[in-house]
Amino acid sequence: MKKVIIKPLREFWVPVEAERISPDIFAPLSIEEIRRLEVWEGNRKVTLSDLFMISGDDEPAPPGDNEIVLSGDFSRVKRIGEKMTSGTIVIKGDVGMHAGNGMSGGEILIDGNAGDWLGREMQGGKITVSGDAGEYVGAGYRGESCGMRGGEILVEGSAGDYLGEHLCGGTITVGGDAGDFPGIGNRGGAIVIGGNAHLPGAEMASGTITVRGRARVLPSFQRLETVEIDGIRFDKFLGDLVDDGKGELFAASVEDGGR
Amino acid sequence: MIIEGGIVYDPINGVLGEEMDVSIEDGRVVEESRDGEKIDARGMLVLPGGVDAHAHIAGAKVNTGRIMRPEDGRRGTEARTKLLRPSTGYTVPNCYAIGYRYARLGYTCAFEAATPILEARHTHEELEEIPIVDKGALTLFGNNWEVLECVRDGDLEKLAAFVAWGLRASRGYGVKVVNPGGGEAWGFGGNVKGIDDPVPNFGVTAREIIRYLMRANEALRLPHSVHLHTNNLGKPGNYETTLATLRAVEDIASSRDRQVLHVTHMQFSAYGGTGWRDFESKAPEISDYFNKHDQFTMDMGQLIFGSATTMTADAPLEYGNARLLKAKWSNHDIELEESSGVVPLVYGRKNPINAIQWAIGLELALLTEDPWQMIMTTDHPNGGPFVNYPEVVALLMSRSKREKELATLHDLASKRSSLPSIEREMDWNEVAIVTRAGPARILGLAEKGHLGVGADGDVSIYDVNPEKVDPSKEHEEVKAALAGAKYTIKGGEVVVRDGEVVAVPQGRTYWVDASVPEDAEARVKADLVEKFAKYYSIQMSNYMVQDAYVTRPRVIRAGVI
Repeated sequence: MKKVIIKPLREFWVPVEAERISPDIFAPLSIEEIRRLEVWEGNRKVTLSDLFMISGDDEPAPPGDNEIVLSGDFSRVKRIGEKMTSGTIVIKGDVGMHAGNGMSGGEILIDGNAGDWLGREMQGGKITVSGDAGEYVGAGYRGESCGMRGGEILVEGSAGDYLGEHLCGGTITVGGDAGDFPGIGNRGGAIVIGGNAHLPGAEMASGTITVRGRARVLPSFQRLETVEIDGIRFDKFLGDLVDDGKGELFAASVEDGGR
Repeated sequence: MIIEGGIVYDPINGVLGEEMDVSIEDGRVVEESRDGEKIDARGMLVLPGGVDAHAHIAGAKVNTGRIMRPEDGRRGTEARTKLLRPSTGYTVPNCYAIGYRYARLGYTCAFEAATPILEARHTHEELEEIPIVDKGALTLFGNNWEVLECVRDGDLEKLAAFVAWGLRASRGYGVKVVNPGGGEAWGFGGNVKGIDDPVPNFGVTAREIIRYLMRANEALRLPHSVHLHTNNLGKPGNYETTLATLRAVEDIASSRDRQVLHVTHMQFSAYGGTGWRDFESKAPEISDYFNKHDQFTMDMGQLIFGSATTMTADAPLEYGNARLLKAKWSNHDIELEESSGVVPLVYGRKNPINAIQWAIGLELALLTEDPWQMIMTTDHPNGGPFVNYPEVVALLMSRSKREKELATLHDLASKRSSLPSIEREMDWNEVAIVTRAGPARILGLAEKGHLGVGADGDVSIYDVNPEKVDPSKEHEEVKAALAGAKYTIKGGEVVVRDGEVVAVPQGRTYWVDASVPEDAEARVKADLVEKFAKYYSIQMSNYMVQDAYVTRPRVIRAGVI
């Protein structure tokens, strides 16, 4: 196992575009070569060593045998683990936007909070967040008809708005609450929300959304029956009927005013 | 500049693959150049610069496509360089990318196909930002209230005066007619079902609108004919509407040495069947008609598999597309003039309808015997982006390539079209006609599309030797050579070398200034004053395209006095 440890040298005031921090890119490189990788800090091109202290194993290893440990505040460092296919990234601290963009394999473990667009267009692999995540977890690129297509995202805390927007596959599990419009425009996949959710499943065509807490349900969802899952009784809905959708929505408790 | 020793195809001047020099001085082709600059084109194909007579490259609907499609923007991004500004997009590229990509293909002239007068300022703002190529815009007249009223009143003189005024107001080049009457009916959620269906509130029919606009066009002796997007476009069985339209105007004569009507993106108007289930090609019927009627021309509107962004003033068509495909949809009401729509879609090889559509475009081009009646287009970006022109040319030149492609398509493409039986393979002369000489002649651009003395110094040089390469077999080589010109020369300046843009001059904008009798113009003005006071959301003074919007104009004079 090749292990590389990265710590910020200072606080970042403008975002750093760090899509180069990925096991696939680090695997064949020595520490010195990793230090010389170019990244953008705002509108300036810098090397990783200008921003971070980097240490670890020098020997090349297959990507799957790579672990990158990020320690410190990475909340303004974006696109970590973008398009990674294997290996592991462990972040001990908060991470910025677009972590795990389009990743197809491997694992990202975030011991802290994640920014917006976590796992955008993810295709495979697993992301775990011990804290909260921002808006658009597992969502699509602006304008695309598919967001996440596969893999797994687990957020132990709460998630922001538009959780799993245009989800086409894979699963997203949130321990706490979700914000507005989780699962908007979904065309597949599964979302489980441990807490409450507001207007889940708008315009969904297919897929499943389960709200174990209370949900405000859109009037364009049709209540079908009551079902019991893991000892909890859920109201099951079909929708979104404005789009002739066949999605399934389960809500343990339905907020007044919604229906 | 002297381009030495290339193998030149210049159909307008009867040059068919001769090894010869081309001299350019002060931006024009001359007998002999003295400035000493030499370009070695030995063993290479030399053609006049390409001319695109129909593409949607500037204006409100193109920009709507960009706004609707950030996901398209990220395809085709190229960073800026010291010389070039950044490029984005595939089906709806930004303005800079449009100019660079045309130049790389060896194209030096492109016409925006549909601009309502009301949106013409926007069109010219974008045309001004498209580098390198010369350009122009066709102006929409087919659903304009003033037009409909002139047709209703049988007032041809006033109609001609309005067309002249509209071209001036929009700095437009020609008369575009899109689903005549249908765009107006769409304002009430309707459409016209054929050429004899009356337009709500006006009582006129498409037949009358087309006939009157063609007669006005010829009365004004405009360089280009009426440019028609037929009624019922995109619908199964519409070939009957197309043929009925053509038969309805057979008696109208052209006032100039050109076609009397250009029917655009014919692929979308050559459909048989009563619905999508028995959808089939009627290209042979259409081409057969064209083979017997040389006063008409068309362009292919070839379909390209993959992503496309449909955009048209045919708003009811786009509504249908959006419902059928559950796609994103933009709809636009252009006050007294038009309606329009934009819908992104993906053409699939295994989709039977798309596969048949693909075959229809090629059938039309290959079954229409006279290449001067045919322009190679993809109706960018409706059938697909113009960057795929090399693919289309390779298909026209190689039956084996067509067979190879057909094998990857839904089998209905072979069963519901005649394409598998078509043996014709275009030669370089025919390719030069359908991509350069023909569109220039059809548009009425005297200095484009050829390399005779006095022509614009626009030349494309491709690294393919027509004497050695057999396009029928070596179609991949042909396609690669056309995709990145060895040299593109614009107005005597090398703008592309080895497929890379090396200079970014600003092209000119063509527009037509047609004169009409003063009293007819006065009658039009009186109508317009009333329309602006009553209906338009803006003042007439804020409506006209001012000179400041067209900084490098090339004005073509026409008219009745």
